[in-house]
Amino acid sequence: MEVGPRKLVWQGAIPLHLELHSSEVSTVPPPSPFMTLAPRHGYLPLLVDYIRPHFQSALPPGPDNIWFDYKGLPLKWHIPTGVLFDLLCIEPERPWKLTVHFRAYPSNLLTAYEGSEAAKWTFMNTLKEAAYIMYGNTKSVMNLSQSDQLELWRSLVKGDLEAYDRVAMRLRPPLPGGITKGFLSQSSSGETGVDTGASSKAGLESSFSGKIPLKIYVRAIKAAREDTVMVPPPISSWDEVVTLTRPFEIAKQQGVRSTLRDALLKVFPHLFINPPEMHKE
Amino acid sequence: MAARDKEREAFVVILFRATGDAPILKQSKFKIAAAEKFAKVIDFLRKQLHRETVFVYINSAFSPNPDEVVADLFENFGIDGKLVVNYACSMAWG
Repeated sequence: MEVGPRKLVWQGAIPLHLELHSSEVSTVPPPSPFMTLAPRHGYLPLLVDYIRPHFQSALPPGPDNIWFDYKGLPLKWHIPTGVLFDLLCIEPERPWKLTVHFRAYPSNLLTAYEGSEAAKWTFMNTLKEAAYIMYGNTKSVMNLSQSDQLELWRSLVKGDLEAYDRVAMRLRPPLPGGITKGFLSQSSSGETGVDTGASSKAGLESSFSGKIPLKIYVRAIKAAREDTVMVPPPISSWDEVVTLTRPFEIAKQQGVRSTLRDALLKVFPHLFINPPEMHKE
Repeated sequence: MAARDKEREAFVVILFRATGDAPILKQSKFKIAAAEKFAKVIDFLRKQLHRETVFVYINSAFSPNPDEVVADLFENFGIDGKLVVNYACSMAWG
């Protein structure tokens, strides 16, 4: 069976090398580092049940509130692990060396993490925001039953793409040019999911704005000279990263496919060496 | 992005609307620099309401992430030149 790129990303995991922050080590010798694989689509604090037992005996007394830092930069828990890694990890560092903390949560730098329920809530709100851009309302998400919402969240955390698509089908707009079909057939061996979703999608079709929501993380680097290629230093503050939410209007004509390149060209024309006009024939 | 940013207003008008048992602000319209993050809006509300926990929604529909830029929220969800922010002291729309 052919494994499509979506499936590969869903199966992707980041090798982590975790060390307990020295201020929280209350034993001699200090605990050994903990190695684990973190799913790309997951969120770091969700790994707490795997990580804590390893460090538990070394921790000073007090309540736990897990957080992570990379070279001193506290990691935002609501950003998927794979995105954090792509944005922050200095190549070619493997495994990715993070520091784990269970105490002294930096509330001035990070939004409070109130457990996995809070992570799920944040995720559901991201879906609602996306739905609002696509349909002008959040009905598609609100219409999911509690058990469907839970299933969606669980499949995301487990990295189960098939289970995720079963529910997420009902949130996706019908795309012209058979994109939906091609998109999904990469992940599932059959195309049954596409057929079952068609009828429930009638409502979405009529209200679809034609816009796809994109979340883009941009790191601005001030290069000394434009022609110098430099290895960027580690990010020392989140102020160096801009998060953009930009809807992208996809092509409406039958058979015309919009690519990620088209979308990025629209948002950041100045980042491309050849302006889009030059590609026109 | 540069051209688009030039077209943008430097400030965004925010219209606060109380939901549920949340106290109503004496002044409901505020201006905020468009380049600010939404966290600033939440902080401002907390101070106005003298409460640690405030639930904040756009158009009674969803809670944006504090990291989002106000200009993006206004552009994507603004209505009649304003960004409508509903606030509640307990969870209103899940």
